[in-house]
Amino acid sequence: MLTMNNINKVYQTDMVQTHALRDFNLQVEEGEFIAVTGPSGSGKTTFLNIAGMLETFTNGQYLLDGVDVGSLNDNQRADLRNQKIGFIFQGFNLIPDLNLFENIEVPLRYRGIKATERKRRVMERLEQVGLASRAKHLPQQLSGGQQQRVAIARALAGEPRFLLADEPTGNLDSLMARQVMELLEQINRDGATIVMVTHDPELARRAPRNIQVVDGQLADFTLYQGNPAVAVGA
Amino acid sequence: MFLHYVDLSWRSFKRTPMVSALMVFAIAIGIGVTMTSLSIYHMMTKDPIPNKSERLHHVQLQTMDDGEGYWSKDDVPFQVTYQDAINLQNGNFPYLRSAMYKAGFSVHLNSAQFKPFVQEVRLSSKDIFQMFDLQFIYGGTWTQQQQDDIAPVVVISKSINERLFKGVNSVGQSFYLDDIYVQVVGVIEDWHTPVKYYDPNNGSFNDPENIFMPFTMGAAYEITTAGNTNGWKHEPDNTFKELLASENLWWQFWVQLENAQEKEEFGQYLMSYMQQQQTLGRFNREQLTYNLFNVMELMDYRGVVKHDNQIMVALSFMFLAVCIANILSILLAKFLRRAPEVGVRRALGASKRQVFYQHLVEVTLLGLLGGVLGIILAQLGLWGVRASHGAYDALASMDVTMLFAAPAIAMVACIIAGLYPAWIVCKTAPAIYLKSQ
Repeated sequence: MLTMNNINKVYQTDMVQTHALRDFNLQVEEGEFIAVTGPSGSGKTTFLNIAGMLETFTNGQYLLDGVDVGSLNDNQRADLRNQKIGFIFQGFNLIPDLNLFENIEVPLRYRGIKATERKRRVMERLEQVGLASRAKHLPQQLSGGQQQRVAIARALAGEPRFLLADEPTGNLDSLMARQVMELLEQINRDGATIVMVTHDPELARRAPRNIQVVDGQLADFTLYQGNPAVAVGA
Repeated sequence: MFLHYVDLSWRSFKRTPMVSALMVFAIAIGIGVTMTSLSIYHMMTKDPIPNKSERLHHVQLQTMDDGEGYWSKDDVPFQVTYQDAINLQNGNFPYLRSAMYKAGFSVHLNSAQFKPFVQEVRLSSKDIFQMFDLQFIYGGTWTQQQQDDIAPVVVISKSINERLFKGVNSVGQSFYLDDIYVQVVGVIEDWHTPVKYYDPNNGSFNDPENIFMPFTMGAAYEITTAGNTNGWKHEPDNTFKELLASENLWWQFWVQLENAQEKEEFGQYLMSYMQQQQTLGRFNREQLTYNLFNVMELMDYRGVVKHDNQIMVALSFMFLAVCIANILSILLAKFLRRAPEVGVRRALGASKRQVFYQHLVEVTLLGLLGGVLGIILAQLGLWGVRASHGAYDALASMDVTMLFAAPAIAMVACIIAGLYPAWIVCKTAPAIYLKSQ
């Protein structure tokens, strides 16, 4: 599903070069649920942004579902992102002017899906996260947990095979965090591949596979449960 | 997707109503000022008779002796003498033609109940109505016989007919021009032309005349001109007869030539006419020359649109540019404030191009609203021009072209203003905002 070979990401300023990722190697198989942990500034988010094609990398090779991401231009990356990747953010990142229905509809519009099909998919996702009755509500009229469920519904609306979650429970209390985590586990069981960045060791332990990023490199990994470990370079 | 972008733009306006209103007002002010001056310029420069301007030709003859000068750019006098006007009017060629000049009369019904009024009257040939596309409501032009017999007949405009005869069919009715008792033979629609192209010697933007009479009455009734008379020769011109026999220039002459061949043939006619006049002691010069300009050529030659008008239009566009600069800075601030949302959209699959288009649609909509408001402001400006300069009544108006041009210019202006902000926001790295939002 995802293969990164010797990915480097260097932020260059006039005076300083910062290596956010160094010879980063990772392979993620279809259907995996991976928790990425590591100290602040270790490169977790950079990895996630590169995985989601929100940032480019300095050198190395990144294959997403067999496609060499390094050879794509911006429009092609946007298309690929829209087709294959769903994002879940710590801050939910719902668009405040749009109601829940319209928020979930956004990725479908960019994919050029017709209105009737969009409506079917959006309502299906709202049902899935238990918020169908709130379709016309604005994000600010919901609790944090509900907003994150909407964000998950939005990430799922395009039926992506790959979900990237950046601290999805970071802004939630423990009860809501558990509910969101259960939802993600359900989504994983339904077949989606999930890579989740988290600071929370308890949440990380619930993921079948754990990897740790330290100083821009994969430092270690631990298999808590589930499938045998896939070879991961450090 | 376009309608979706329009919807998003409208939501954006509602989210920041004061800023949006400020931008709409800024573009409206710019458009209002620009369209006011541009509309006047447009009316000044537009073809006043588009279906015939190529065929109607104005005659100028270089009648002055060698060594004499005139203030035209090529030294050729703008008008013609009575002798030349009459000779050409009676010339043996098959084209519609009209010698003409402007006079002024007191119009009355010789009745204590009717308040007289002063009107300008055009003395012309019977062909003028056909040549200049003047449409008859009642009756028709005077006959050749009436013209030759100096019959006291007139054609009046609809508004004069309304004033004198309450709008009824007045053919056969009579009224007075000073002491001349004239009979109406025809009523035409009012002659509306923003530029008085057929006689730019007496105010290019004055209103056309509303009463027309045979030119033959001029000599018979000793009707003096109400327009300009130019003289170059020291000769007696104290009496009307002396004026008619003089080289004074006070008539205009128009001829309708259908094609280049007719123009060529008529040019040859003019040359032979001038040679013939030389045998009579006139046109004392080595090089005979004439001008035979069509309507647009004449307007250009006479400089109907002054350079000042062009400067005025340029200045108004500069003012619009200042408005655009202001809008640009407001748009930049507004769009950058929205960068986090753009980051989310980019993460959800929007390409840079789609983000760019979305913002261009917003600025285009802004321009449309500003353009519509600008039309209202321009109408106020034009009303102000009309109120302060009566001679600009026909010019200070907005035709359909300008009505469509206003929002088009506003939209283009806003797109220009929005290009940079839209480009900046579309190339914003989305990752920066996704974490911090």
